[in-house]
Amino acid sequence: MTNLNASVKSRGVVLFAFNTDTVNYELIADRARRLITHTLDLPVTIITEMSGSQTNTRLGYAHGTQWFNGDRYRAYELSPYDETLLLDSDYLVLDRALLKILDTTVDYNIMTDNQNFVQTMTGNMGELSLNYVWATAIAFRKTHRSKMLFDLVGRVQNNYRYYSKLYNIRRGNFRNDYAFAIADNIINGYTASPGIPWTMLTVDKTVKALEINNNNIMVREDDAAHVIPKQSLHIMDKVYLQSDAYEEFIEQICKN
Amino acid sequence: MSDINELVEEIKQATDYQINRRILREKTITDLHVAYNNGLFLVKPELIAFLATWPNEELFLEDTYENPIKINRQEFLTQCQQHYQMVMNSWHIQHDELKRIRKV
Repeated sequence: MTNLNASVKSRGVVLFAFNTDTVNYELIADRARRLITHTLDLPVTIITEMSGSQTNTRLGYAHGTQWFNGDRYRAYELSPYDETLLLDSDYLVLDRALLKILDTTVDYNIMTDNQNFVQTMTGNMGELSLNYVWATAIAFRKTHRSKMLFDLVGRVQNNYRYYSKLYNIRRGNFRNDYAFAIADNIINGYTASPGIPWTMLTVDKTVKALEINNNNIMVREDDAAHVIPKQSLHIMDKVYLQSDAYEEFIEQICKN
Repeated sequence: MSDINELVEEIKQATDYQINRRILREKTITDLHVAYNNGLFLVKPELIAFLATWPNEELFLEDTYENPIKINRQEFLTQCQQHYQMVMNSWHIQHDELKRIRKV
């Protein structure tokens, strides 16, 4: 017999997409949505309207370009779902691993381990600071503790100069990776909570092509090519993510 | 382009077996995680052996998030065995495929 009083928790994915002078993030997010819908069969909400004027500049990847990364802490209030995967639009969802996190009862879980093809990309925020996290992929459910996390990220963002001094942060510009690491550290009793228990794979070089062949993906860079299993990927090359070649890759994936 | 330059270019473009092998192993570890009774576990031979030999049908095990999770031993053992077999078979197939396309 079906219990009509049983609550059914809603589940979905939230993406942020704020266009800049050089990058059409809405296009990239829409492409990410198609992959997510195909792979996870979950609804996707894309947030395109910023809460206020924001200015930020990338210091590492794509040095010197515009970067509107400031509203991520609003994901808690803006997400229409009880259980949310908050993802960067440059995170290509090609497997269902993140759903396992939503099958647990953790309040939130953030990606902590990251690697490219050569080395680990996990590091600290400064020589005398904490390890940062990768806000590229966060799973959370609407609980008091999760709300505290996001509220605190907002507080860190709005008082970033203070927190960057307090935590001996190496770089001056705002990064969600740092804000979430600080907020997580505070909420968890000044220790880091266990992160998502596997490693994200990041392609941080120029991508010439992605090709799917059965259960393998060929990643072609300028001077190398890698065959990897069909798995989620963090692609930093925004030029590729806006290209027709990427559109064709998505169509190939969604056809299968 | 001279022969040597072409050769260098080809080698650079060739897939690096060791890197691909490592990435495949990482993906396998991701896949070996299984959710059970609101907890998350990495299914390893040690876990399967432990479940197979534990004398009681009900127990508590620490999961990946450092929480004690109530376990129905036989049910979880069966789930772990099936999951382990499926993921390891897949790893084996994909590993063979990598060896087949190995270039350098």
